[in-house]
Amino acid sequence: MSTVKDHLSDHEYDGIREYDNTTPGWWHMIFIASAVFAFFYFIYYDANPESSTIWTELARKQNIENKKIFGALGDLEPTPATIMKLTSDPKLMGVGQGQFLATCAQCHAKDGGGINGVNLCDDSYKNVKSVEDLYTIITEGAGSGAMPAWKTALSKNERVLMASYIASLRGTTPASPKAPEGTPIPAWPSH
Amino acid sequence: MAAQTPALDAPPLERFTYDDAIVRKFTLATILWGVVAMLVGVLIAGQLAFPQLNLGLEWTSFGRLRPLHTNAAVFAFAGNAIFAAVYYSTQRLCKARMWSDKLSNLHFWGWQTIIVCAALTLPLGITQGKEYAELEWPIDLMIAVVWLGFFGTNFFMTLKVRRERHMYVALWFYIATIITVTMLHVFNSLALPLAVVETIKTGHWPTGTDWLKSWSVYAGAQDAFMQWWYGHNAVAFFLTTPFLGLMYYFLPKAADRPVYSYRLSIVHFWSLVFIYIWAGPHHLHYTAVPQWASTLGMIFSVMLWMPSWGGMINGLLTLRGAWNKVAGDPILKFFVWGITFYGMSTFEGPMLAIKSVNSLSHYTDWTIAHVHAGALGWNGLLTFGMVYWLAPRIFQAPVWSKKLIAAHFYTSTIGLALYVLAIYTAGITQGLMWRAFDETGALQYPNFVETLVNLMPMYWIRILGGTLYFAGMVLCAFNIFMTWKARPATYDVPVHEAPALSPVYVDPPPPPTVLTANVEFGKELESKVVQGWFHRVWERKPLKFSLLTLAAVVIASLFEAIPTFLIRSNVPSIASVQPYTPLELAGRDVYIAEGCYNCHSQMIRPIYAEVKRYGEYSKPGEFVYDHPFQWGSRRIGPDLAREGGKQSIDWQIRHLENPRQLVAQSTMPTYAHLLEQKVNFEAIQGRVTAMAMLGVPYGDAVKPGEAEKLARAQAKELVAQLVAQGGYADVGETKALALAAYLQRLGTDLSKPAPAATTAANPGGTP
Repeated sequence: MSTVKDHLSDHEYDGIREYDNTTPGWWHMIFIASAVFAFFYFIYYDANPESSTIWTELARKQNIENKKIFGALGDLEPTPATIMKLTSDPKLMGVGQGQFLATCAQCHAKDGGGINGVNLCDDSYKNVKSVEDLYTIITEGAGSGAMPAWKTALSKNERVLMASYIASLRGTTPASPKAPEGTPIPAWPSH
Repeated sequence: MAAQTPALDAPPLERFTYDDAIVRKFTLATILWGVVAMLVGVLIAGQLAFPQLNLGLEWTSFGRLRPLHTNAAVFAFAGNAIFAAVYYSTQRLCKARMWSDKLSNLHFWGWQTIIVCAALTLPLGITQGKEYAELEWPIDLMIAVVWLGFFGTNFFMTLKVRRERHMYVALWFYIATIITVTMLHVFNSLALPLAVVETIKTGHWPTGTDWLKSWSVYAGAQDAFMQWWYGHNAVAFFLTTPFLGLMYYFLPKAADRPVYSYRLSIVHFWSLVFIYIWAGPHHLHYTAVPQWASTLGMIFSVMLWMPSWGGMINGLLTLRGAWNKVAGDPILKFFVWGITFYGMSTFEGPMLAIKSVNSLSHYTDWTIAHVHAGALGWNGLLTFGMVYWLAPRIFQAPVWSKKLIAAHFYTSTIGLALYVLAIYTAGITQGLMWRAFDETGALQYPNFVETLVNLMPMYWIRILGGTLYFAGMVLCAFNIFMTWKARPATYDVPVHEAPALSPVYVDPPPPPTVLTANVEFGKELESKVVQGWFHRVWERKPLKFSLLTLAAVVIASLFEAIPTFLIRSNVPSIASVQPYTPLELAGRDVYIAEGCYNCHSQMIRPIYAEVKRYGEYSKPGEFVYDHPFQWGSRRIGPDLAREGGKQSIDWQIRHLENPRQLVAQSTMPTYAHLLEQKVNFEAIQGRVTAMAMLGVPYGDAVKPGEAEKLARAQAKELVAQLVAQGGYADVGETKALALAAYLQRLGTDLSKPAPAATTAANPGGTP
């Protein structure tokens, strides 16, 4: 080995000796490089009001995604016509399904068949007389809070879309349907 | 070196012995607690794959046992290993017996008492709810006394009476350990005990385990900052610096080779001690702390890479020319693998501290894999190497079986590899699933439990790897037990001789410079600084050395702490955020006692996938009344920061009763006992008063009897809601109801209208 280079110092502790080797050059280089990186990183991101932050990135991304989903539709209103019209848009129904799985499936099951929440696929409803009531219930909740209110967690457009997706579940066949609750109501208006 | 001492007043030779009995005690305790810590580790790893292993008992649920596992691994297993190393090496490096045998023994028995107290209180749910600092205030006080009063005093006094002029690098690392751990422990653990509140404010005595209850004096973002300043530096000064000291003593001893570079020791010691302290906020990337703090945490972590590697280089290069020995010596193999794992972990650490990497890794098993590579790889393997090297010396009998050492080496390294590879995979898989979107722009795995179910095969491999590592620990215990059995009837205590240090010492001149250029300043700099002469002077002065170390860690701490506590804009207040109601406060204590924070975060990062999944991101102002903060560090279950109102209260109660009746694939333990146990309504007043003393504006709720009245009124209201929802009517006074009340409150204040200024007397704005 390269013991020629090693110079033993006069240090000795309980038999342990120390070489007086210099610190490896690459060690110094990387250490200094990391400090230089750190300095410029701090200046660029924290002393520069123009730099992007996690918050501006989020706002940009939300903007893009909202446009992608609702861009052409603008602000949606919870009218029967709008709700029924959306049910025929397969792309938007895909978005609605994603939202349903995230926020509703815990209680209403993935396919809407109901767990401790009601079955959304049959013709009986507890608090719905016409299709726009779906929007009201999503927004305000129902059953003394058994159905939570989503007005703060979901945007208006998202709630209209959700009403529309839930309307589209009616008449589908879930894997294990819960018994009907409430009273049968007339079919949704056609669109 | 004797030549440097003036010959005239050379002190006479002194005779002394070393106290190896204390080393034997700490070594055996290391092994005992190692077995316990790893056994609990295997059990809780099993619970994550098979929730039935929570046994349906409150004392054995994951949330209670996980702190027991981490505390046992860090403070019992690694802690006792540190003490064994310090007591063995310090005496020899100082050519002096420990200053006081009495303090050594008080330290030993005091520390074991602390461990036993931890093992009793944590399963009972007696906890401060801060990770790795869970132990309640009486135990915290004991730790401070045992650590600084017994251990610290004994160590520093031994330095004072040493017979070796210079302090070896191992001692530098021990000094940094003792000083910094004291500072971290004291400042992070500052808490207000309920017993104090009751004594001076309400005049009642706490009942039962409430005697031990306390709350952090810090709240929300500031508590988070303190906690991770502590948490990260516990890794630094409990699991890194003492083990570097251990390495610097036992590795050259075992390899019989000189240390590679004295100068590298100096540079990497000081850079490590100075830089490590800054890096804590990297645990809080993208959380509700100011960006500058998180940036400092990141850049200092990046700069920490080389100082950490300095230790690895000095370790591995010490073995130059001795690699043939490594092949045949399982002790050196343990050391080499331990140091290699140190190198890998300290590369990975800075990498995980980079914000963009952290946005993927945070809250996932990647962090778990990282700490286990460090704890099982670096701390574990180094400890095993030390134990096998020490055993024949302290038990004065050859190690019972060399083959078992080799078997232990292979089981532990294979177990370790299986563990970390599986859990890396699990972490990255889950992180990617959380942020996966389908082509419609919706989350691909909106249901949290889907992302967990996917990890199950990895969890089984972890159980296998962990069991192998545990089996290795058992082999070690057996081998050491058999060695201990073969000990002589009385231990031989060799007598050593050395002169006392002369009080007079003239610093030798700096070494001649090797520079040839004719620049006087450069020459002086080279001989005094580059060749380490100035440091040689410090090594003769333990007090000065310790004060400089203290300065290095204090300055950095203050640099981050002062702005965190003083700049108001760091935590912009939100008018609609109100204190928890008395009932919710009681529920929060249930949340803490059950250790919910071990699996659930309460912190939505401003990242699109996260906002999509959980709702609006968390703001610093939402946590100003959270003593202690409950942001969590791992999502084994979903985030709960905006849980309030997402489910009905009926759902919450039934979910606590048995999560699998609502979420079939859930791995959450059952909390049926919460539906049986009553909340102590009389004790709620003390809780509210305690919060008021910590600065939470409770207004009239602090009046005697007021908090209980408010709590009972809210409970009644919630039961009415439950009945209307078709839920249980008989949970009115239970912990489940209080916990559900707390969960239903979480994150809801942000979207409420700001109350009028006068409603401060009506906490929570509950009608």
